[in-house]
Amino acid sequence: MSIEIRNIAKQFGDFAALKDVSFKVETGELVALLGPSGSGKTTLLRIIAGIEVPDGNHGAILIHSADTTAIGFRDRRVGFVFQHYALFRHMTIFENVAFGLRVRPRRLRPSEKVIKEKVNELLKLVQLDWLGDRYPSQLSGGQRQRIALARALAVEPSVLLLDEPFGSLDAQVRKELRLWLRRFHDELKITSVFVTHDQEEALEVADRVVLMNEGRIEQVGTPDEVYHHPANAFVYNFLGNVNLFHSRVDEGKVYLGEMPIDLPAENAQDANSALVFVRPHLLEIERQRNGGDNFRAKVTHINAAGPLVKVDLSTDWGAPVHVEISHERYSSLGLKREDEVFVRPRERKVFVERQNGIDECRN
Amino acid sequence: MIEPRWVCVLLISSALLFLGIFLVLPLIVVFSEAFKKGVEVYIESVREPDAAAAIRLTLIAAAIAVPLNLIFGVAAAWAIAKFQFPGKSFLITLIDLPFSVSPVISGLIFVLLFGLQGWLGPWLSEHDIKIIFAVPGIVLATIFVTFPFVARELIPLMQSQGSEEEEVARTLGAGGWQTLWRVTLPNVKWGLLYGVILCNARAMGEFGAVSVVSGHIRGATNTIPLHAEILYNEYNSTAAFAMASLLTILTLGTIALKALIDWKSQIDIREVSERVSTEG
Repeated sequence: MSIEIRNIAKQFGDFAALKDVSFKVETGELVALLGPSGSGKTTLLRIIAGIEVPDGNHGAILIHSADTTAIGFRDRRVGFVFQHYALFRHMTIFENVAFGLRVRPRRLRPSEKVIKEKVNELLKLVQLDWLGDRYPSQLSGGQRQRIALARALAVEPSVLLLDEPFGSLDAQVRKELRLWLRRFHDELKITSVFVTHDQEEALEVADRVVLMNEGRIEQVGTPDEVYHHPANAFVYNFLGNVNLFHSRVDEGKVYLGEMPIDLPAENAQDANSALVFVRPHLLEIERQRNGGDNFRAKVTHINAAGPLVKVDLSTDWGAPVHVEISHERYSSLGLKREDEVFVRPRERKVFVERQNGIDECRN
Repeated sequence: MIEPRWVCVLLISSALLFLGIFLVLPLIVVFSEAFKKGVEVYIESVREPDAAAAIRLTLIAAAIAVPLNLIFGVAAAWAIAKFQFPGKSFLITLIDLPFSVSPVISGLIFVLLFGLQGWLGPWLSEHDIKIIFAVPGIVLATIFVTFPFVARELIPLMQSQGSEEEEVARTLGAGGWQTLWRVTLPNVKWGLLYGVILCNARAMGEFGAVSVVSGHIRGATNTIPLHAEILYNEYNSTAAFAMASLLTILTLGTIALKALIDWKSQIDIREVSERVSTEG
C-alpha cells in the first residue's frame, strides 16, 4: 500500500513543526525520515499514524489512494512502533502481542485457539517465541524492540511506522538490529516508514531517504543520490563527516587561505561569501607544496586506531580540518604532531551565499 | 562507629521517647479507658441504640463518599495526567481545595448553601427537602472533605507513566473503555487501592465539617467521632473511649492494609525478578 503525504502543516503554539510537506512512499518501500531533532520528522510520522491531526484542511494523508485524514487512528490499520517500545508492563509478552486481537469487536474477534496460533507465529517471526510468558521488564532493549514490532504486526497493518526504532539501544545491538530490520522488511514487503536522526542508519537501511530540516523537506532520494548528489548545503553538511569552510568571494574567486578556487561566472555575480565542503577522505596531505591548489596547515592530533588514520589539523586562519588517510600513506608521510604540511582537496563542493539564499556552484 | 556511644544512646532514646509519648501512649490510653469497666460494659456501650445509629451513619456516609470519590478521582487523574487542555492547573488547584480549607469552613459553606437561611434554603424547604442537620448534609460534607485522596494518589503515578501505552492501545484498535480497563487501571491498581484506603479512613474519621452540618441529633445525625465527643462532654468517658476505640481499630486496620499492599506490590516485583534468575 502506498502512502501519499499532501501539503501537511502543523503548528505547536508559535513553533511551526511542519511547513507544507508533501511526498509519496511507494508500495513495499522502506523509507527513512532523516533530520536533526526538531526537524518535524516524528510529528510527520505521528500525523501519518493519525495520532496527531494536521492543521487546516488543505492537507491530506492518502493510504492506498484513499484519503484517511478524517479517519481516526483506530481504523487506519497502521502499525506504529514507539521509540521507547511502550510495551504493556503488566502483561506478559504473549498478551502484549495478543492485545490487538483481543480488543477487536466481538464479531471480528478470533477464537482463543486462533489467537494463540497467530501470536506464536508472530513471536517466531521475530525469533523470540521462547519469551512468551515473560514480562517486558525481563527483556533486553533489542528484544523489547522486536516484541513491539510483533505486537504492531498482529493487527495486520497496511503500513508500518517506526519512531526512532533503534534510538535507545547501544551501538552493537543497533547495528545488528538494523540489518535484521532490513532483512525482515525484504521478507514481509510491508510499506514502512521509520524516523531517525542517524544518517548512517538511514543510508544503510532505507530504500529512499527523506531529509528534513526545520519542518521542510530538503531532499528525497535513494541513499546513493542524497549522498553523492546532495541538493543543498544542509544535506551535504548533514550526511556524513564533512569539513566546512566559510570564505569571502573576491573578484570571482573563493580563497581557502592562499588557495584560490575559481567560481563559474553565473555564480560569481553578487555573491557575498561562499561555503566550501570537502569530505575528510577527499583531502590529501603532502609534505611539499606542489602547485597552488593546496593550503598550509599544522597537525594537532592523530588517531591511528581504526581502518583509516584520522588526522586533525589547524589552518593558518584558524579553521579546524579533519582528514582521513590510509595507513600506508600515513607511514610513508611519517606524520607527527606539530608538523607543518600542505592539504590538497581532491574534490570539493562550493555553495555561494547571496542576499536571497544559497546556490550550488556547478563545477 | 564514628559517633561516641552516649550520642547514639541519646539520639535513639529521645526518638523512642517521642514515639512513645505521641503514638504508643495514646493507643494504650484509648483501649485501657474503653475497657476500664470490663468487656461487658464496652460491648454494652457499643450496642447501645444511639451508638449503633452513629456506627450505621458513619458506614453509610463512607459507603456513599468512597465510591463516588473513587470514580471522580480516576476520571480527574485520567484527564489531568493523559491530556492537555486549558485550565488544567486551575483544576488541580480545585482538587486540592478541600486539603487547604479548614474542615469547619467546608461545613459552613454547606450551611450557607443549603441551610434555612442559605441561598437554596427557601427552595429546599418549599419542596420539603432537608439537607442540613440531616443525613444528606453529612454525606455531602464527607464527600467534599475526602474529595482529593484518590485523585492526589493517582495523578503523579499516571503522569510518571506517561500516555504512550494508551497511544499504543489506540493504534492497536482499542476503544476508550478498553484502553481504560485493560491498560490504564491495571497499571495503577496499587496506587488506586491505597488512595481508596486513605479516602475511607478520612471519611469515617472526619469531625470538623460533619460537626457543622450535623446538628448533633442523637441517634439520627451523629457519626462515630461526633458521638464520642458528646459522650465525653457528658463525662461518660468509658462510652466515649469505646467509640474512640472503634476509630482506632479502623486506623490500625488501615495501616495493616497499607503494609499489606506495599508487601504485595513488592512481591509482584520480586516474582518477576526471581523468574528471571531461574530461567535466564
